[in-house]
Amino acid sequence: MDLNFLFISVLNGVVYGAFLLLTSLGLSLVFGLGRVVNFAHGALYALGGYALVEVMRRTGLGYWPALTAAPLVVFPVALAIERATIFPIRQRPDIYTLLVTFGVSFMVIGAIEQTWGTGTTLLTTPAPFTGTLDVLGNQYPRYRLFAAAVSLLVSAGVFALVQLTPVGLRIRAITDDAEMAEALGIDTKRLLTLVFGGAASLAAFAGALGAPIFAVHPDMGMSILLDSFLAVILGGLGNLPGSAIGAFVVALTKSIGGGYVADWSIAFLFVVVAVVLIVRPTGVFGRGRVA
Amino acid sequence: MATACLLAVPFLGVAPFTLTLLTEALIFAIWAMSLDLLVGYTGLVTFGHAAAFGLAGYAAGWFAREIAPDFFLALAAAEAVVVVVAAATGFVATRVSGVAFAIISLAIAQVLFQIAVAWRAVTQGMDGLVGVPLPRLFGLTLGPGRDFYLLTAATVVTIYAGLRWLVDSPFGRTLHAIRTNEDRAAAIGIDVRLHKWLAFIVSWAIAGFGGTLLVFMKAGTTPMSLHWSESGNVLAMAIFGGLGTLVGPVVGAVAFVFLRDEFTTRFQAWQLAFGLVFVLVVLAFPSGLVGVAARLRSSVWARRS
Repeated sequence: MDLNFLFISVLNGVVYGAFLLLTSLGLSLVFGLGRVVNFAHGALYALGGYALVEVMRRTGLGYWPALTAAPLVVFPVALAIERATIFPIRQRPDIYTLLVTFGVSFMVIGAIEQTWGTGTTLLTTPAPFTGTLDVLGNQYPRYRLFAAAVSLLVSAGVFALVQLTPVGLRIRAITDDAEMAEALGIDTKRLLTLVFGGAASLAAFAGALGAPIFAVHPDMGMSILLDSFLAVILGGLGNLPGSAIGAFVVALTKSIGGGYVADWSIAFLFVVVAVVLIVRPTGVFGRGRVA
Repeated sequence: MATACLLAVPFLGVAPFTLTLLTEALIFAIWAMSLDLLVGYTGLVTFGHAAAFGLAGYAAGWFAREIAPDFFLALAAAEAVVVVVAAATGFVATRVSGVAFAIISLAIAQVLFQIAVAWRAVTQGMDGLVGVPLPRLFGLTLGPGRDFYLLTAATVVTIYAGLRWLVDSPFGRTLHAIRTNEDRAAAIGIDVRLHKWLAFIVSWAIAGFGGTLLVFMKAGTTPMSLHWSESGNVLAMAIFGGLGTLVGPVVGAVAFVFLRDEFTTRFQAWQLAFGLVFVLVVLAFPSGLVGVAARLRSSVWARRS
């Protein structure tokens, strides 16, 4: 009986971890590439959820076409944000990117509240994933398992892109040594703009994919932003595999801890992060950068 | 001179509502100055300064409600709690700097926010700690309005003088050295981690004065006082006014309170406007209002000579 409860907590943790993976990878990529710490990542995640709802409402299309449209809608918005706010301060210390995107986050959430109000929108689970599935004698929502699988697949795609393609090679070169990469003729500025847009699209996709599970409201991005930050710090800033593992550590700590000590799980999580920071300031794997 | 003006305000026939706003602005000024010590003078950008302010509010409010509404006793209780929590969390947070410090400080505030929501026996959860009585000072009950304004103004002046002394002291100079170049400061024998830790604790302790005043002014507090957006507000006040100046955050806090009042009553688009101003200030005027004023003055002088 107790073991069963633990099993469900772990399953919830894995599902949440898959979402966290999508948002953490984007954060980590953008940080590695341009030392940009994007506080607006959570707001863009929320914008993805709203883009989904708006596309469904306007076009009358179902959930699935809207899910693919959401990241496409957010992509140009993110490009504009990068050009207008991050591009001009590339020469300043890293912390300025955090400050400026913090302001951007307020603007995006403010714009969301202005346009769609402060209410919560609930979505029905899209067919054919309604209902539950029998998992070792537990009835578990089908859609959650599907969404987790999609998140994992997309994340694997991102890894493949970074590890196997010429663009990925450039991204890794810049992450390694931006000055050297530039000297070799890589247009780091343009690539950063594109990767920023891509990372924002990933966040928007996560927001839209999670909409039937977590609902859509203006503040929806904040807790996932904080969790992603912690995941990225745990794994070492700019270290992609580290961020991936960090995402699951954070998600499992939260869901298992949350199952037993309810609202105190975030305090527990903080203790975990604190211990890691004291023992290994460069992240669990020691390969990230000391920020 | 400025002190006399500040203390004379309530006797000049200012509308009660304006006096309330001004009291709030001065309380925020304490908070913003304490942030300046950390961000402007030590170079540690915190995204969780609501933690210090909100925690003091809870501690002082709880003490006044449950034990005694004496201002100094409540303040002492709040300071004790704030200093202990700052020493513990700061010990972890100041091991890192830059972006990681910003995120860890945000996480600390978020933990306190969750505790304020979850620990219902003490904090009354989302309902908030309400019904904090009026403060008593030397056995006399301080009325809202003028009395409370004078207490606040006197506290602001004292804290400003104290901080001014602190930043010019050898300790303050050491913080400045750390801000300018951490590696070099360490190389000449400064214990960087110890000084950052001390700056963190002092900053929280000063914010605690503001938090104590605010809980008495509002007669209560809610978990929203620990929300991340509050940390953003205080950061905006200090940056808008001008970091590393002490005067800047005071100007920023006053501007913030009156602009927010104006925007929320007339346009109902405070968050959007706030974000826009925040972005513009960071992009175009990183030295804030005080910095812009100084630049204007020096350019006028340059033209004259």
